[in-house]
Amino acid sequence: MNPVLSRATLAVPVALLLIIGCVLPLALLLVFSFFTVDMDAFVMVPDFSGGNWLQMATKPIFGLLIGKAVLYGSVTAVLTACLGYPVALAIASLSRNAKSLAGVVLLTPLYTGEIVRIYAWRVLLGSEGLVNALLKGIGLIDEPLKFLLFTPFTTYLVLVYNTLPFMVLPIWISAELVDRRLIEAARDLGARPIEAFFKVTLPLTTPGLAVGLFAVFALAAGDMLTPSMLGGTSGSTPMALIDNLFGTAFDWPLASALALSLLMVLFGCASAMAWLLLRLKGARAVLQRGLQ
Amino acid sequence: MNSFSRSTLLLAVSFFYLPIVVLAIFSFNASSLMAFPLSGFTLEWYQALADNGAFHDAFITSFLVSQPVGILSALIGLAAALALASPALRWRTGFIVLIVLPFLVPKTVLSIAQAMLLSWTGLGRNAVTLIVAQTLVAIPFTTTIIAAVVIRLDRRLEEAARDLGATPWQSFRKVTLPQIKGAIGAAYSIGVILSLADLTISMFLAGRTQPLSLVVASQFRRELKPDLNAMQVVVLCLTAIILLLSELYRRKRLLRGHFQREQ
Repeated sequence: MNPVLSRATLAVPVALLLIIGCVLPLALLLVFSFFTVDMDAFVMVPDFSGGNWLQMATKPIFGLLIGKAVLYGSVTAVLTACLGYPVALAIASLSRNAKSLAGVVLLTPLYTGEIVRIYAWRVLLGSEGLVNALLKGIGLIDEPLKFLLFTPFTTYLVLVYNTLPFMVLPIWISAELVDRRLIEAARDLGARPIEAFFKVTLPLTTPGLAVGLFAVFALAAGDMLTPSMLGGTSGSTPMALIDNLFGTAFDWPLASALALSLLMVLFGCASAMAWLLLRLKGARAVLQRGLQ
Repeated sequence: MNSFSRSTLLLAVSFFYLPIVVLAIFSFNASSLMAFPLSGFTLEWYQALADNGAFHDAFITSFLVSQPVGILSALIGLAAALALASPALRWRTGFIVLIVLPFLVPKTVLSIAQAMLLSWTGLGRNAVTLIVAQTLVAIPFTTTIIAAVVIRLDRRLEEAARDLGATPWQSFRKVTLPQIKGAIGAAYSIGVILSLADLTISMFLAGRTQPLSLVVASQFRRELKPDLNAMQVVVLCLTAIILLLSELYRRKRLLRGHFQREQ
């Protein structure tokens, strides 16, 4: 058999596994969203009136929750992009050995358990935690700062913490591919460092930025545990409501409709982002000419 | 490197390690209250951890679940990467979308949909469903890691082996595999680490299996206790050791590669 062809056929079992394991469950959501729960018999029966979808469209709570997930995703993506660029460019300027060390240093916190991170931030930000103790110690405050824990501030801080490596890594890899002489040429021709960044480095690293924005948006918008365990009363998310409808209320049809609405909105936002980024001149040039 | 880069890196590293350092400090603090000022040094919490049978069982469960997840996700990632590198692959975009799907769909939504499918088809939830679900979520990561290396391979080496009469399997084993062993090892360790770090999937698909993250989460909802700190420090050290070993393995292979080339 032709070896080139045989390599390509390896895709078949992988695709089958992903279709059965991921696409089929999501398709089942679509089926269930046209069911309704018969509360007397406590079973699900088909109902093609689209009642669940009508609820999605008419009750503001669902739209609000999904909007909040999109907000968490996009604000976190923008924040990590602003913080990630200096870090990624600093790593790219290190020596060869220091770079591989930086990789490990960057990756270790990424793989600490979700629960470990949440737990650590509670110890850190609580009213008797490290931050408040330090601020009190140097006499800046008398009473512990209350906004540090169980507020939207906490949620954003920890979302940024959780997702920053996913922004730094792709920008760093893109920055490695930028010909350093281009930046030097810009500087020699009189560009200030900030001008050189916006005119040369930024356009050439747009592919990395795009990958980072995607990854961070998906992770932050889909995170249920961080808002619910650290966000206090502001921590409700569509995922938590889906969990509630599925586990406690036994309303699988409504949970399915909500889950699908969430997925459609998230995919819509991701595609819009991709379309916008492709319209940027630099990104198009890099993608068309390839990363040499 | 200028001073701006240096201070940026310093700030980034302190941000990343601040929570971890605080956990480590309190795991040695002689007070059951996690508050400043500190009260003195103790190993009491590590002793309590060593005596806690529930933690031991959960730890062994997590370990036993993480091994098949690491191996399976590395093998599937390898198959996907080889397919992606092949010019004969059709429906490439569709295949890429399938591969990144488990990453793009929120884990809660995917796990709940999978739990619905399992209960609708009458299949139970147990360690096997947990392993399969964690493997699916690890596939985008392992595929990316292996594909990044496979795509840069020199195709001519394998063609040369084929011209000299090697079977496809022989040329893969003797030519391709030695060049991508490091990436497969890295994919395996990332599968293991993602499995150890997971809580969301376990919440919905573990059935009666109780991995460490579930046990910790149920205790954490009730109260914060320093022996949990001690355990987190132990888990973190293990994670760091896995990462360090796989980096060392990669370096050793790199060094050997240089050495052979010089000869």
